[in-house]
Amino acid sequence: MSVAWEQLLPWAVALPFVGAALTPVLAARSPRWTGPWAWGVVLATVAVTVGLVAHVAEAGAFTYAIGGWSGAYGIELRFDRFAAWVLPLSLLFAVIVPFSWRYVVVSLEPARWGAFYALLLLVMGGMIGFSITGDLFNLFVFMEVTSLSSYALVAVGGRGVAAWAALKYLFLGAVASLLALLGTALLFVLTGSLNLADVAARLGPDVARGPVLIAFAALVTSFLVKAAVFPLHVWLPDAHAIAPSPVSAVLSGLVVKTGIVGLVRVVQLFHAADAVPLAGFHLALAWLGAVSIVMGAFLAIFQDDLKLMLAYSTISNVGYIVLGFGLAAPYAAVGASVHVVNHALIKTTLFLAAGALIHQTGFRTLSDLRGVARAMPQTAAVMAIGAVSIVGLPPTAGFLCKWYIALGAFEADRAPFGFALVFGALFIFVYYIRMVNALYFQAPVHARVAEATEVPWSMRAPLLLLAASCLVLGLLGGAPLAFVEPAVAGVLPVGGP
Amino acid sequence: MAPFGVDLDYVAVAALFCIGLYMLVAKSNLLKKLLGLNVMETSVFAFIVTSGMVEGGDPPLLVAGAQPPFASPIPQAMVLTGIVVVVSVTAVALSLIVQIYAHYGTLEVDELKERP
Amino acid sequence: MGVVDPRPLLAPLISFACAGLVFAAGRNAFWRRFWSLSAAAVKLALVLSMLPGTLRGVVYTFDVVAFTPGIGIAFRADAYGMFFALVSSTLWTLTTIYAIGYMRGEPDRSRFFGFFALCVSTTVGVAFAENLLTFFLFYETLTICTYPLVVHAETPEALRAGRVYLTYTLIGGGFVLLGSVMAFDAAGTLTLAQPGILPADAGGATLATIFAALIVGFGVKAAIMPLHGWLPLAMVAPTPVSALLHAVAVVKVGAFGVTRVIYNVFGVELLQDLGFATPLAWLAAFTILAGSAIALTQDHLKRRLAYSTISQLSYIVLGAALLTPFAATAAILHVAHQAFAKITMFFVVGAIQRTTGKTRVSELAGIGARMPWSMAAFTIAALSFVGVPLFAGFVTKWYLSLGALQAGAGVFVGVMLVSSLLNAAYWFPIVHLAYFRRADGGDEGVHEAPPLLLVPILICAAYVLLLGLTTQVPGMPFSVAQVAVERAFAVPAVVP
Repeated sequence: MSVAWEQLLPWAVALPFVGAALTPVLAARSPRWTGPWAWGVVLATVAVTVGLVAHVAEAGAFTYAIGGWSGAYGIELRFDRFAAWVLPLSLLFAVIVPFSWRYVVVSLEPARWGAFYALLLLVMGGMIGFSITGDLFNLFVFMEVTSLSSYALVAVGGRGVAAWAALKYLFLGAVASLLALLGTALLFVLTGSLNLADVAARLGPDVARGPVLIAFAALVTSFLVKAAVFPLHVWLPDAHAIAPSPVSAVLSGLVVKTGIVGLVRVVQLFHAADAVPLAGFHLALAWLGAVSIVMGAFLAIFQDDLKLMLAYSTISNVGYIVLGFGLAAPYAAVGASVHVVNHALIKTTLFLAAGALIHQTGFRTLSDLRGVARAMPQTAAVMAIGAVSIVGLPPTAGFLCKWYIALGAFEADRAPFGFALVFGALFIFVYYIRMVNALYFQAPVHARVAEATEVPWSMRAPLLLLAASCLVLGLLGGAPLAFVEPAVAGVLPVGGP
Repeated sequence: MAPFGVDLDYVAVAALFCIGLYMLVAKSNLLKKLLGLNVMETSVFAFIVTSGMVEGGDPPLLVAGAQPPFASPIPQAMVLTGIVVVVSVTAVALSLIVQIYAHYGTLEVDELKERP
Repeated sequence: MGVVDPRPLLAPLISFACAGLVFAAGRNAFWRRFWSLSAAAVKLALVLSMLPGTLRGVVYTFDVVAFTPGIGIAFRADAYGMFFALVSSTLWTLTTIYAIGYMRGEPDRSRFFGFFALCVSTTVGVAFAENLLTFFLFYETLTICTYPLVVHAETPEALRAGRVYLTYTLIGGGFVLLGSVMAFDAAGTLTLAQPGILPADAGGATLATIFAALIVGFGVKAAIMPLHGWLPLAMVAPTPVSALLHAVAVVKVGAFGVTRVIYNVFGVELLQDLGFATPLAWLAAFTILAGSAIALTQDHLKRRLAYSTISQLSYIVLGAALLTPFAATAAILHVAHQAFAKITMFFVVGAIQRTTGKTRVSELAGIGARMPWSMAAFTIAALSFVGVPLFAGFVTKWYLSLGALQAGAGVFVGVMLVSSLLNAAYWFPIVHLAYFRRADGGDEGVHEAPPLLLVPILICAAYVLLLGLTTQVPGMPFSVAQVAVERAFAVPAVVP
């Protein structure tokens, strides 16, 4: 019986990839159907991931050896509780794809529809593959699939400006990927294996100090760039703000998380390598996280462009996650793991709602969007719920994670981080309250804003669904926390900080 | 072949990496930046391929008369995949550069920064 | 005696559902009123239905979810919580009637009534919170839900007040979160069901930090000086908001939090050992006097009321900080006494503003002749604040003084006396102006507030009288307060 479940594992990656490959074929015949087709593929993937998560909850982590070559010789897929985030990931895609239909029809010429959905599916497949692979080199390949599709997606709608933002993103992303490849190669030279579990086992106390440090530094830097931790965030704001809103949601909510997932996966490899000063590294990580929280919020305060503000807020939130892992305390790690998912949900909500506002009014700055809540009450309400969630005010999805991370700070006897976290959240609220004020409590300055109509249902339904999830996950937030809890022991360095 | 205790091929790899990085950071022209990126990538590939070398090893092909030791085949597989990835990155980058040029009429970063 | 019962959960849920229905009703005035009023009535009935049990010592509990052991959302209606819930749901009913009359013709009424209901929902949630996490959850939600009410007018002045309000309360919320996290780290639980959870051996510095964080956090909403800056500014809100939120819901939630911290997080015994409560008592005494002194200088009616509120709230804090049963009785009772008296005053001030357009003390000459009923109610509330025997305020002051003596701190009796004098000094001139001066010209005839405003005013005033007279009647607030105190101290509250 259990064999059948493991056979499901490759499908989680194969479905989106095959779907992506077939999309241009379909687009050549009838571009109109590419959207529904992509949605169908996403839903099928959701079904597969539901099965995987159910199995991992019941039986624990399991592996699948591609082509029957196991262990050190072949490529292995591995599904653990931490990888279960592919379920919320694909669920979010299942919401984003229908939202994007209207956008695609309005903003892109039919010749590009196929490409748009193919790229979206590639991003999803890449991230799922990235999360469930058990092979270091494969990690790099899937990361590249994700990144490449992301570069293209940033540029898909716009002209020169978007291309320029995409190219900046590409240059930094490519260097980061290269560092990951370098680190992978060094680890292979050191251990003779690419299998994650195998590498971890072979990186003992006696490996050469210099190379292992370089490998560690290269991999960690690479993933910190992908995660856009301050000060390695410079590529993020432009790319996320200029991309079409559905794409912004994918990039900001999901793609940056590949950096986090990668970081967690890779740091685990070095737990037994004495050459790597893990305690110091975790402390540095916690500091980076704290600085990211504050700087992200600080930079966001000065933004008038709605999407740019949201982009900077991503830097803050990634800071929370990094801080949580950096504290190396069980509570904090649980909180950080779940915040990976919750932030994805909240940021998707915010970006899609922002997209809806921009789509209906044609304006994208706060000063132009004043008073839009009267014309578009539902979208504005979604935006407000998203804002409250991202600040982490109860009873919304953002709260419990922050509670857990703060608890971890005290658990690890690092109280200053607890203070930083709590008051960082207030700092974040400063600019979100500016947003809510502008949307709700200021008079419209443009006639077009005052006369705007609500978004069509194909966009509204996803928005309402997401906002409801923000609230529901706040009240039932315990379930994901409890789910991920058994997995974090492996993430923490042995013997604690 | 290890002057100063470091293999010469590693020195070459490090040098290539740095040259590429310099081009990427210091050059103002987008095409030159892309070339720099390619040089960096090449340096990493070179490193991977050389790491697979085994002193006196045969190609890892199971033909009649093949004798161990074999050179490690995995680095070559890695590099092949890597090249595919890098070609794709370069293709995407070039297409973006074409778009940028069509829109702005320039490829110099200094000038691009001044345009809206 | 704990009984599992969903009613502590249902009570906040009703207002929550009501808010949803009001938002859905949109511009339809009938349904908006219908839902607001019926939810208020149902909620009051629900809370009242738990009262007999509470008086017998039954505690209703309901666990919603547990995230991990010790962290979860749970409700618990103990005597003190019941007391608070009873006060707020009674006043919600009255304020809803008042607000329907007051807000006639204002824009965005569905937003107003929706968030109004949400505020009450969260207040009752705070009252019934079983643990500090649930408490915090509702505490912060209350902050968010009050914001749209404060900035309702959408004028630059209102937006500024809203900003100040949020700055204060959110920073306060941050401190509460911090204190809660640290308390959980020290105690391993956050329950408010016991007389104190923190272990004495947690370390003096840790305990001091927790105490400071929680008191500062709740003290912002309780407007303990110097954390009171937001309250006078927030008076730009429509009068029903000022009345319910800034006399009852928001500020009382803060005071309620302070008392919960003292009785249920630290516990009386631990605090007596630690001695943290003494500085708090002095701060409260200072606030009582300083608040009154500033109120004396205010000409704007609502601002005078606001500073009076600041002063009165610290009675509650002082009562709790004295750590004696009598003082605790006073603290709990004053939650109701201050609420009913102050809301009467706010209602009257709002009615005056609506019917005559006057907002300043100096304009009130002769108002007693024009609005005899309203001013009679105002006078009753004023007498209560001054502490004239037979009025509610006297009971508070009497027990607070007894409590101070019990604690061996007679100086606070002096504070009571001075405060009474100050109260007299700023309320009686208004009464004097209203009855004994003639208006300069204008029509002299009776011109009362419309019935929708007047009826709640009179009911509240009557209740102020009742509260002072019925201390021995079972089922009235006094008896509930006694049960609550017996729980906290495990001794009878009133020595027979």
